[in-house]
Amino acid sequence: MVSAHVNALGVIFPNSYDSLVPELVTDRSMASIPFASRYRMIDFPLSSMVNAGIDNVSIVVRKNYHSLMDHLGNGREWDLTRKNGGLNIVPPFASKAAKMYHGRIEALYSILSFLRSQKEEYVIMSDANVASTIDFKDLIQYHIDTGADVTIAYADRPLSEDTLTNDDPNRDMYYTLELDGQRITDLRIMPRDLGVQHLSMNIYVVSRKLLIAQIEDAYAKGYVYYERDVLLPHIRDWNVQGYAFSGYIALIHSMRSYFDENMRLLDEANAEALFAEPVYTKIRDDTPTRYTNGSIASNAMVADGCVIEGTIENCILFRGVKVEKGAVVRNCILMQGTVVGQNAQMEYIITDKNVTISARQFLKGSASFPVYINKGKVV
Amino acid sequence: MEKEMIAMLLAGGQGSRLYALTEKLAKPAVPFGGKYRIIDFPLSNCVNSGIDTVGILTQYQPLVLNEYIGNGQPWDLDRLYGGVHVLPPYQKSSGSDWYKGTANAICQNISFIERYHPQYVIILSGDQICKQDYSDFLRFHKEKNAEFSVAVMEVPWEEAPRFGLMVTDEDDRITEFQEKPKNPKSNLASMGIYIFNWDILRRYLLEDDDDPNSENDFGNNIIPNLLRDGRDMYAYHFDGYWKDVGTIHSLWEANMEVLDPENSGINLFDNDWKIYSRNSGMPGHYISPHAQVKDSMITDGCKVHGTVTHSILFAGVTVEEGAIVEDAVIMGQTTIRSGAVVRHCIVAENVVIESDAIVGAMPADGEEGVATIASDVVIGRGAKIGPNAMVRKNVKEGEEEW
Repeated sequence: MVSAHVNALGVIFPNSYDSLVPELVTDRSMASIPFASRYRMIDFPLSSMVNAGIDNVSIVVRKNYHSLMDHLGNGREWDLTRKNGGLNIVPPFASKAAKMYHGRIEALYSILSFLRSQKEEYVIMSDANVASTIDFKDLIQYHIDTGADVTIAYADRPLSEDTLTNDDPNRDMYYTLELDGQRITDLRIMPRDLGVQHLSMNIYVVSRKLLIAQIEDAYAKGYVYYERDVLLPHIRDWNVQGYAFSGYIALIHSMRSYFDENMRLLDEANAEALFAEPVYTKIRDDTPTRYTNGSIASNAMVADGCVIEGTIENCILFRGVKVEKGAVVRNCILMQGTVVGQNAQMEYIITDKNVTISARQFLKGSASFPVYINKGKVV
Repeated sequence: MEKEMIAMLLAGGQGSRLYALTEKLAKPAVPFGGKYRIIDFPLSNCVNSGIDTVGILTQYQPLVLNEYIGNGQPWDLDRLYGGVHVLPPYQKSSGSDWYKGTANAICQNISFIERYHPQYVIILSGDQICKQDYSDFLRFHKEKNAEFSVAVMEVPWEEAPRFGLMVTDEDDRITEFQEKPKNPKSNLASMGIYIFNWDILRRYLLEDDDDPNSENDFGNNIIPNLLRDGRDMYAYHFDGYWKDVGTIHSLWEANMEVLDPENSGINLFDNDWKIYSRNSGMPGHYISPHAQVKDSMITDGCKVHGTVTHSILFAGVTVEEGAIVEDAVIMGQTTIRSGAVVRHCIVAENVVIESDAIVGAMPADGEEGVATIASDVVIGRGAKIGPNAMVRKNVKEGEEEW
């Protein structure tokens, strides 16, 4: 068979790190959090997979997956309506033993028979809290060239203040790597070190056969976490490689980082880096955005379908937002369908979908603490 | 299974009066209104009216149009039975023919229509900007027990001689047809949109096909023949926005009218009658701190650093710092470099206007010149393009074209 593509299937875990942004995931998953004016977080890893030629992607959902299913549909916008493979959304299987999965092991166990029946040589796994321009083709080639058992992509960056100060015992774990050359010698769970760390992007490459064996064994032993229970005990006897990713990366691990990572895209160089390769998303058939005669816009990223009659400055506007006459919106993220009434004033506010700010309201958050307004709320 | 009504969309026209804009593509494929092409309007009208089977008759430069239509998915016209089909002229055992006229184009595709056993066929034109509910037109056709109906617009009497006119009685029954007459008896202009009972259309197409002297045209041949035979013919009054964008000036004007939906009557922002199009897939547009944007429409993927006033930017347009864009229609992926001044013009896709170039000018009294730049052209640094210019080739640095 002719193939310019990588010989891999993809697995995305849409609910990992839900616990870090509880407000944003009240009725959605991390994967379906709106990001960068017209996308959802999952669009980034999913598009990276498609751009690498992966046309067999499973999304192993855990909970709150209606918005994600609505977003993904049959996968057509990502060119994933395929006879073989394509998009495969796997909801929790309601059986007598039904329980929501916690770690990756249970999630992968739930698709084990699927994994056994596939033909691809490798599996790429990714979470959905990371928007990056990672080249999965290159990642897999690295995995092959180094003869690795498992390859983990990582980025060199310091741990954020939010990460270091989050004491929630139920929070999702993060990992840093210790390297000897590029070989991983230790996997550190939620360290609190200052300075630049080899922070795991939680993107893994492993051969399908090895993954199946790993999961069968781990599940039988009642293990939960792939990193802690499968990789860590074998970190010295397996060849576990670190793949250094130095491209653009947006990481959502708190409301603050959600705000900052959106705002960072107002720097054109950042936006160009993140969108160097096409990123696919659901089509909404909006009109172009209309700026009326009295409008003022400065330093803003604006999706289609908006009507701007007032002032916007340092803002990210999603599709179909309306800013009425005399309204002044500064340093805000307004999600799809937000309406800002006449002469309202807003600063450092994140509005979720379909929020209405009534006329003459005055709302103010701060750079370190942007105020979030729930989906559908009328203020 | 039969379809009540299917649509046949005439999209073969060259649109020769759009000159440089239609050198590489057919008129229905000309971009319009920021993210659309002209053909999106009749196609979206079909879907919004409940018509799920559309044949598109193409002939001139069909490549862009074919690729754009694809499987019809953006218009929800990818159907198991029906959907959208592009119908170019084809070779038959008895030889092949180009479409000789509008009626001949339909006549050569009788077998396509018969696959769906329709009761009615609506004939549409692929070069008009109009939002119209064809189901209301069909309701009229059925109420009148008509065999043929034509959608008409009231036009000012002084302009009536430019149109094909329907003379009607008080019951809207058509008694006479005048093609561009000197002395009009009516001001009801044909919009070129017809509903036929299929059995009647089929009979008159075949009769017309046998007439060696016929031009095989609906207006010149089919309608006069129907009148000759006293068929039940009615005029359906349409009073919404309608524009034949057949000239550079009317295309520019229609785009400007999109910017003023409150007064112009063309409202693309109406969620109850969406116009669908193939999506660019680009991220949201960016307005920099140096930009000034007023009274304009900006589409995904644009980067605006300069001044944009009363203009339409299609997907992926870049306006650099210090550039001025006013009363202009700038099509997809075009770049306008710093210091360039672009006014009262249409700039097609993938054009580069280098620094300090001047394109077009605000019109003086009585003039209506709209400077036009063809796609993929480069206008050199400091070059000057006059308000009536039609630029098809690169213009070198510092040169002028009028």
